[in-house]
Amino acid sequence: MRREQSTSERRAKEATLAALYDEYYERIARYIYVRLRNQAEAEDLAGEVFLKALESLDSYKERGIPMQAWLFKIAHNMVVDHFRKMAKRKTVPIDAVQIMAESDLQATVEANIELARVTKAVEQLTPVQRRVIELRFFGELTSEEAGQVLNKRAGAVRELQSAAIKRLRKLLHEES
Amino acid sequence: MSKSFDDILDECVNRINRGESIEDCLGSYPEHSEQLQPLLSAMFDIQRAYKFTPSSEAKWAARQRFNAAREQLERRREAKPPLLPRIFGRAPAWAAVTAVLLIFLISYFGIIPLLSPEGPGLQPSATGNFAFLISDEVNAIGDFDSLNISISSISLYLSDESGRWIKLDPEVQAVDLTLLQGDRAQEIWRGNVPEGNYTKVFIQVSSVSGILKETGASVDVKLPGDKLHISKPFEVTSGSETNFVYDLTVVAAGSTQSGIKYILKPQVGQSGADQRFELINGKGSNGSGKNHGPKRPRVTPSAPGFGIHIPDAPKIQESGVVSSAMAN
Repeated sequence: MRREQSTSERRAKEATLAALYDEYYERIARYIYVRLRNQAEAEDLAGEVFLKALESLDSYKERGIPMQAWLFKIAHNMVVDHFRKMAKRKTVPIDAVQIMAESDLQATVEANIELARVTKAVEQLTPVQRRVIELRFFGELTSEEAGQVLNKRAGAVRELQSAAIKRLRKLLHEES
Repeated sequence: MSKSFDDILDECVNRINRGESIEDCLGSYPEHSEQLQPLLSAMFDIQRAYKFTPSSEAKWAARQRFNAAREQLERRREAKPPLLPRIFGRAPAWAAVTAVLLIFLISYFGIIPLLSPEGPGLQPSATGNFAFLISDEVNAIGDFDSLNISISSISLYLSDESGRWIKLDPEVQAVDLTLLQGDRAQEIWRGNVPEGNYTKVFIQVSSVSGILKETGASVDVKLPGDKLHISKPFEVTSGSETNFVYDLTVVAAGSTQSGIKYILKPQVGQSGADQRFELINGKGSNGSGKNHGPKRPRVTPSAPGFGIHIPDAPKIQESGVVSSAMAN
């Protein structure tokens, strides 16, 4: 009886996860892309996030945090693991590089210069400010959801966000 | 109680994320518009700089892998006998052992290949339904006297029901991109691959070595990673031969003051099974491998020995590897 209940709970969680796929795959890919700056790897890793979530569904507690916030926690851990593996393999991530399909080289170079300028500013934020910006601007989570990922109150996230945007504004203004 | 500025800013971020414009938000809070405008513009600049939409092929392929893993779990659940008979020995002991082994084998051979193309790759053969070629779109390649890259493996994503990676061990591992400009292409693998629709390709680059024309000095050529991915669907069918051209290009970034940086990257627009190419260093085709079948895999008659062995293929100078990114 208990086993049947647990199997049906597990199936319900799988269905919830599958339903989140369409809406959250792109957001997670974008969130990862900001960290990796490699489109193909971001696409791959976003897919891996859902596989990892499927594998770990038994450890997910519905009453803890919403599943979408939990997915971003997994994405964060996978990015950290990715960088750890890359460091062991002595690979060097390249700044300001995008694999783009455009044939317009001029536009690509300009986009890369802008990306380098913005990245330089973002890197001057504190780590927690940066995570707030990544979750809010690219993951498109609400402050409440971002707070659940970061174990912070929504009010604290709003304060961090405000300070981060003001700092970014100042840095970008100085750069230009 | 009136909203704090942080709350207003937060609301505007939400509204912009939902697709509203900066002006819409400023219109709701005219008393704060002077303070809000530069902050929301900064947000807009940052989102624009990192603008990225994953390809529909990548999304679809990832969804296929997810569905396959889900189905695998369901099958495993259905195959699992009830708990009590297993404990009290109603089922023979060998059955339990077999079940454990079966689950292990399904996990290993069923799920692992979906996640990564590890393990030995397919070996090339004299004839086959598939050929993989390398080419170079002209950008900054003119700066180089030679630009040798070493390719240790090729992986193709087969989007069939199970969704899996097919790994190929290249016959020719070292190519000089200066010899492969424009339509010129060098075949590095030929053989048989499973028929079906493929959506993604990557090559694993193990080393890069560039020598500049002007100075004769070796130069660091960066790569976005050791695996260079492209998403470009193509089909392999029975009785025909698909020639997939993987196009790489080297671009120069920076300035003479800050220093020129060379970057090697895949060129999606010039890659695929629908690209024209002129075969170099191949045998049995008088150097011509041009095909004219737009938007579908090209079909050419299989010719024994076609482009398999390249006696004068350029060699990578082991001591000349300059990209630390490539060292595994």
